[in-house]
Amino acid sequence: MSHHPVHVVQPADAEILPKLETPAVISRLEELIRRYPVKRGALLQALWLAQETLGWLPNAAIRWAALKCEVSPVHAYGVSMFYTMYKKEPTGRFFLQICQNVSCHIQGAENVIVHAEKVLGVASQGGNTADGLFTLLRVECLGACGNGPVMQVNDDFATDVVDGELAMPDGVGLTTERFDRIVAWCRARAVAIPTEPARDSLGGMLVGTGGHPGATGATSAVQGIYAPPAPALGLGSSRTEDGKVKLSWRAAPETTTFHLETRSGSGEFAALASLSGKDKEWIGELAVGTEVRLVAESAVGRAKPSNIAKVVA
Amino acid sequence: MATLTVTQNFGKGAQDIGVYKSLGGYSSLSSRLFDLSQFELIDLVMRSGLRGRGGAGFPTGMKWSFVPRNSGKPVYLVVNADEGEPGTFKDHRLMLEDPHRLIEGMIICGWALGVRTAYIYVRGEFLPAIEALNAAVKQAYEAGLLGKNIAGTSFCMDIYVHRGAGAYICGEETALINSLEGFKGQPRLKPPFPAVSGAFASPTCVNNVETLMALPWILENGPEAYAKMGTPKSPGTKVFSVSGDVKRPGVYEAPLGTPLMEILEGKDYCQGVVGTLKGVIPGGSSSPALTAEEAKQANLDYEALAGLKTMLGSGAVVAFNTTRSVVGMLASLTRFYAHESCGQCTPCREGTGYADRILKTVVSGHGRDGDLEQILDLAANFTSSTICPLGAADSAPIINFIGKFRSEFDAVVAKNPDRGEPRLSKNFRPGAFWE
Repeated sequence: MSHHPVHVVQPADAEILPKLETPAVISRLEELIRRYPVKRGALLQALWLAQETLGWLPNAAIRWAALKCEVSPVHAYGVSMFYTMYKKEPTGRFFLQICQNVSCHIQGAENVIVHAEKVLGVASQGGNTADGLFTLLRVECLGACGNGPVMQVNDDFATDVVDGELAMPDGVGLTTERFDRIVAWCRARAVAIPTEPARDSLGGMLVGTGGHPGATGATSAVQGIYAPPAPALGLGSSRTEDGKVKLSWRAAPETTTFHLETRSGSGEFAALASLSGKDKEWIGELAVGTEVRLVAESAVGRAKPSNIAKVVA
Repeated sequence: MATLTVTQNFGKGAQDIGVYKSLGGYSSLSSRLFDLSQFELIDLVMRSGLRGRGGAGFPTGMKWSFVPRNSGKPVYLVVNADEGEPGTFKDHRLMLEDPHRLIEGMIICGWALGVRTAYIYVRGEFLPAIEALNAAVKQAYEAGLLGKNIAGTSFCMDIYVHRGAGAYICGEETALINSLEGFKGQPRLKPPFPAVSGAFASPTCVNNVETLMALPWILENGPEAYAKMGTPKSPGTKVFSVSGDVKRPGVYEAPLGTPLMEILEGKDYCQGVVGTLKGVIPGGSSSPALTAEEAKQANLDYEALAGLKTMLGSGAVVAFNTTRSVVGMLASLTRFYAHESCGQCTPCREGTGYADRILKTVVSGHGRDGDLEQILDLAANFTSSTICPLGAADSAPIINFIGKFRSEFDAVVAKNPDRGEPRLSKNFRPGAFWE
């Protein structure tokens, strides 16, 4: 529904803003904005919030979201036009989206869409039924291809009605009969429940879990020192062409110094040399069979020793 | 049944943290993880051979090693759950069935990279999955596994679920970052790569859902056990989404290198093809299709499929039988790419739309001589002249479908009695596309 809805009558700000400037909406919005280091990051979520509150996104709501997220109105308008799920015009109570992409296509999506157009008497390009109950839209992949052809009723996947509820049983795709059952379910619901209860469009927000730092931008803090300093890995010994002992290893970039240690007769390791943290090998003279290890040191401290290598012949 | 590393909790009610813990969940958040330095953990993931499961198959440990340390900026982890590739639905199921495994995988990645804030970018259509994730994140906070001082350590990490709003292109990592920042989801030029300058101009790691969910198993069983599965160059297991003409479509996990026909016909998997197999799309809509003959020789791993001039992609297998029109399938795919082109680069914006309009006339019985050559010529031109690979993702199936099933396309064109008439350019005016 990303075309320009020039025919839609845009309500005035005075009509829209009181619905958005309620304590419930504002507190949720403030929590959302705190999640991002810049307010602009919350723009998509703010638009969702406005759409959830109003049922669709009039221009006044887009301007409201722009103001709250500190972006220009035209930026927010462009964003709202780019993403297909923002409704730039009101839809019926049951928004039926049928997937027409390849997996659904080969399972007969076109048949179902043609049937749906006939049953509801509207075009599948976003047509609304006169009673205001249904909007029918053919869409691209909905990400449930194992249930092709698949449909969404508002935000729920539905390919059948099971035990009086919309359901998408494993491997069950939409057919014309199942589509009729779902439409009948919607009509029955419209009689039983006069207006559709609001649904949290952000899937249940987290407020006051304690894990969310309070101030704007706080979430972009740099992680403090948390992990142990990195030891050298894969210490191994070999011989250079001229017969010298060559030790090689891999190490983390933050290492500043390596302490090369050899095992003495008493069984204790004693320092032999200090090497730069950039070194990846050491060449020198050592007796065959000598046990050596490296202890890496970084600004954080000394790491646990590396593996023990034996000098080869 | 082969070892499962990602889907083992399916159908067990693991959405609840208690059940997840009783199945061995969150056991990696112990000295097993917290005794490892960043360097050791990245090395461990490298040794496991784990490759990105989102499509490109880039080694995960190497991707992590590109994230600079001590840059003075925060490091972000962004989970790519914007699963939109037609044929792919594994991440959807994974998030619904086992959201805590994703959180555990994110904490492991966060430890390796020093992440303070992580986002899960979920495509807007997956509201039930978003609800499952939010519920799981809430439980994890309450259990002290997220937020400040995770599991009693000095490590702090927050996870936020970010709802997308319907744009396939946001599955491309730089478009996803733009979308997270409150922009249109248009891909950025690389370099700089996200590892150096991604979300909010800070180092950013973007990983697929399935990639992160493989980490708890790797940490528990060791990288060597993971590397032993699959093939030497494609180690481990992969989750395949199988749809189309099979008896039991669904999400199946199998070691990489499993023969394609085993997935389609094996009793643990799809249990057979409906009708006579005509061809298989092995790795999502942007991977070239295999004919039935080729499918019989194909193994599902990165190298074997590359050898057959196609790709494993996201592991989305779409099987189609001899009653299905390849022309209709290609028209459906091309319409999709024309619809989802972000409009930033001219070759893709114009080229996909042009190809779509020609294919629509062919499908509707108004194809003319030379139309197929025209599409092929277009496809060859919008394949690599753009910022992101969306154009290439459309041109690959166009070149492949017309190349392999040419007779079907010719048969459709041949039905038009006026096929010899010259094509008038007015038939392809852009207005014809924007219905």
